[in-house]
Amino acid sequence: MSKQELLEQAAQSVVDADRDATVEVAKRAIAEGIDPVEMINDGYSVGMSRVGDLFDRGEMFLPELIVASDAMVAAINVLEEAMPVKNQSKKLGTVVLGTIEGDVHDIGKGIVATMLRVYGFEVFDLGRDVPIKTFVEKAKEVGADIVGSSALMTTTQVGQKALEAALKKAGLRDKVKTMVGGAVVTQRWADKIGSNLYAENASEAVLKLKEMFS
Amino acid sequence: MKKYLTRMGDGERIEMTVDELKQDFELGTKDAADRGKISPLTQDELDYLLEIFTNPNKIVSVEPGNEVPLTHDIGTLRLMGDQGNSGVGIPLSRVQGIQVHERAFGGDTMELGHIDYSFKPVKPVIAMEQQEMENALLSTIVPLFYGAMPNLGLYYSPDGPFGNPSDLLPMGKIQEAREAQEGAVEHATRDMIYICEKLYDVGCDGINFDTTGAAGDADMKATLHAVEYLKANTNLAIEVGMAGEFVLGMHGGLEYDGVRLAGLYPHQQVKLVEKAGADIFGPVVNTNTSKSMAWNLARAVTFIKACVEVANIPIHVNMGMGVGGSPVFETPPLDSVTRASKAMVEVAKVDGL
Repeated sequence: MSKQELLEQAAQSVVDADRDATVEVAKRAIAEGIDPVEMINDGYSVGMSRVGDLFDRGEMFLPELIVASDAMVAAINVLEEAMPVKNQSKKLGTVVLGTIEGDVHDIGKGIVATMLRVYGFEVFDLGRDVPIKTFVEKAKEVGADIVGSSALMTTTQVGQKALEAALKKAGLRDKVKTMVGGAVVTQRWADKIGSNLYAENASEAVLKLKEMFS
Repeated sequence: MKKYLTRMGDGERIEMTVDELKQDFELGTKDAADRGKISPLTQDELDYLLEIFTNPNKIVSVEPGNEVPLTHDIGTLRLMGDQGNSGVGIPLSRVQGIQVHERAFGGDTMELGHIDYSFKPVKPVIAMEQQEMENALLSTIVPLFYGAMPNLGLYYSPDGPFGNPSDLLPMGKIQEAREAQEGAVEHATRDMIYICEKLYDVGCDGINFDTTGAAGDADMKATLHAVEYLKANTNLAIEVGMAGEFVLGMHGGLEYDGVRLAGLYPHQQVKLVEKAGADIFGPVVNTNTSKSMAWNLARAVTFIKACVEVANIPIHVNMGMGVGGSPVFETPPLDSVTRASKAMVEVAKVDGL
């Protein structure tokens, strides 16, 4: 089976919300020596993007979305084990990452965490529904270079602004770069709250952070 | 090249040229047509939108003869509530608030609403609501609705007896989440009927089911069942107002009259609302904060025009913060909200706002 066919199968298995199929395709990709990062970026993420579009248009619903997400995570877990961690001798930076309190969306932020690890960043993924003070405490504890937050809803987006203020209050804002992302977040929002970096997706996050820290 | 003041969907003031406006009108109407599988606006209609946007006046209005009735949701909270809930914090009683809307603001109808503005919390204080409704009816002339949100969220934990789908779904407990919603439909339908019948007993003119579908397809199913019962058993006028442009599929499999509710757009929603027996439909089209008002309004007008074309009951489109082409802003700017209203009346041909 060609690489292109496997990538398309990976995307379709996510759209079909078929966990067995996503995992099977991931295993086949590893066996055939295809770069796991490519499988995530050009296969599973493409499928998840199609799922997001269908959901956004009211053609796919929450229960199916949840199953599709679960299927994608299962495949990524398989691929992660086969990923070479690049630049192991040189850590590019320390990232504290999480989804803002009140927001339970995890997948996009999870992919960003995975990709950053692959490209040589040390990542502390705080998970989802993370209180602002936890971001600050963790950043202080691990001496973070970057504090990244994700928000998928306008109601939780304001937490990213509160995080900027909390980092300032803790005396950390000059020591760290902040990065924001999530479906409702835009470059304009990042500029408005004073965040250093906005990334539309995982690949862009990696690209921009590599540029900043290389 | 001359630029015109307009807004982004979040209310930010921007300036756009005629070409930029035209491009966003076209993209907005195309987006609605594509999503709703409906017709885009005609060139004449797009030209008229341009005329509205390039009008040099800060506020615009409809031509004489094109005036439409205004209904009003959220009760008197706009006056009495504080800034936390988009009100202006004037210390009035609810009856006084209704009188102000009738006598000073020229509202064509008005409604009484509880501070929580959801049906469930009204149940234990229904006697108080009956008395207040009676007092309001005795001192006003306009038709008086009672307004509240079906808000099925209050039937899930920690506020209600059923498991919360927002907790259950991320855990993969899809069947449990669906059963919780089906249970909530029964409880909410029962509560809404109980409350509306009590208000009907004291002479209430109508009921406004506001932000229907806010908690997903179960929310809409409960509302339609309540409307069906009330239409068959009372003379209440019934308005169903929506929460979003399509019904969110929190359950995904719920149906009314053999039609799956999840994913229905305004022109499809109105047919079920009619079937249930409602007298007025209040469709909603959401505003995208990252797009210009030109994009948002062209899109909203496209959806609403399609809804008006198939409707057999009056369409009173929801206009205001973050809906109907207006920016997401606590008090939408006058330049925007008057342009959006004019377009809805003169292009989409709505019956009321």
